[in-house]
Amino acid sequence: MDPRFTDLLTPFLKFLGDREITADSPLRELGLDSMQAIEVLFALEETFDMTLPDDDMNDATFATAGSLWAAVSAARADQHPAANETASAA
Amino acid sequence: MTATTLGPGKAASAPADPDGPVGLHDRVASVAAVAAEHAQRHDRDATFPVEALAELRRTGLLGLLVPTRDGGLGGAVKDMVEASTVLGRTDLSTAMIFAMHCQQVATVVRYAHGPLRAELLPQIAAGQRYLASVTTETGKGGHLLSSQSPLGTEGGDLLVDRFAPVVTGGRHADGYLITVQSPQPDSEHQVSLVYARRDQLTVERHGRWQPLGMRASDSGALRLTGRVPPHQTVGAHGSFATMAKELFAPMAHLGWSACWLGTSAGALSRVLKLLRSPQGRNRTDLGSDLLLTRLAETRQRLDAVHALLQRAQRVVAAGGDLSLPRVQLLLNTLKVTASEDCHQAVQILIDALGMRHGYLGDSPTGLERALRDLRSASLNYSNDRLRLADGRLALLDPEVRFG
Repeated sequence: MDPRFTDLLTPFLKFLGDREITADSPLRELGLDSMQAIEVLFALEETFDMTLPDDDMNDATFATAGSLWAAVSAARADQHPAANETASAA
Repeated sequence: MTATTLGPGKAASAPADPDGPVGLHDRVASVAAVAAEHAQRHDRDATFPVEALAELRRTGLLGLLVPTRDGGLGGAVKDMVEASTVLGRTDLSTAMIFAMHCQQVATVVRYAHGPLRAELLPQIAAGQRYLASVTTETGKGGHLLSSQSPLGTEGGDLLVDRFAPVVTGGRHADGYLITVQSPQPDSEHQVSLVYARRDQLTVERHGRWQPLGMRASDSGALRLTGRVPPHQTVGAHGSFATMAKELFAPMAHLGWSACWLGTSAGALSRVLKLLRSPQGRNRTDLGSDLLLTRLAETRQRLDAVHALLQRAQRVVAAGGDLSLPRVQLLLNTLKVTASEDCHQAVQILIDALGMRHGYLGDSPTGLERALRDLRSASLNYSNDRLRLADGRLALLDPEVRFG
């Protein structure tokens, strides 16, 4: 997971304590409620310059940090294929 | 035999595909794109969306409900509902023009026989016949089951002399399905349906079309006069009341409601995209209880109309007896509910967004045009008339069973 992603997520997870965010971190149990999920979504869209497809707006996507990151990565790859190529070429 | 991907259907006798006609999504998207490009100008000038009609012809969608054996796309009622909803998202005038044409086509497919059917269906499928509906009359409004317009006869031909105060797209149609009193009627309740080609009629425009909304539908008053051969009667003389109950009115209610749902869904979608955009997020408190409950109420109304529309569409598609009171009630309820709730949903959005994006015509939300267009929904076959009918129908169903 991109460190920008975990940094962004951290302030929303008030029950995370000193633990690190891992792919298995359960977001709801760590404090992400539905209104905060919208804020996370907007922050992700701004940071990673992508829009999550409507069909990804489900409990499975927001279940764990890993599942959310997978959706973000897929949307990025979908929406910025050229940018990824440039990045890897650079 | 090769099939074209866009354009009229292949001339085969394949059964209707449960997934709908090939390329339906692309065909409809293509018409919606053309309609969107010109919608603002046609709304401003109250002119007909000629470009969108040309695209409906080109994509074969005028023949959506024509069976494949007659060259059409072989679409089902659900395809008409789906296409109307998609078009309604962009431009309610184009959507209504399309839905009402489909209503006429469904009537021809079910009730026209012999040379009329053999000649007309391939022409519709080829995009050569856009059909308008002529049912309104001065004094009786849109009431379907009566006519005060006599049908003359001379040398075996039928003489049409018909004034209609509202004919959607009438000045641009290639043909008309016209309700008239049957020849030698016992009462004004004996109504016949007659097809007339434009070149068989003199089409006179009366007055100007300068409405609040639905401006691009160019639905102004027309007087139609002419002579048509007797085989251009659709169904038997005097049978229109049955046709209206079995098909004509249900198709109208399904098609109109789909269009209205599309327009309100398009409005909500544009509002949500604006609110969720980076600028929108900075300007608006998305945690506002007032905003959230207004968005919820809008969505609630659209989901309720959608559910009703899907239910009614399945009942019609199942082919049972639509004259049963509980089924008539369901169909009327669809129309009344869709016309009121889709309009009200846009009203709520206007309150939610305020003056700039709710009320001004140049906002990307398009709420101003959506509201004006949807205002006509309750008048389009008046809700008052339907409520009176529903009251009588309710009395006929004392067990209160549901359709």
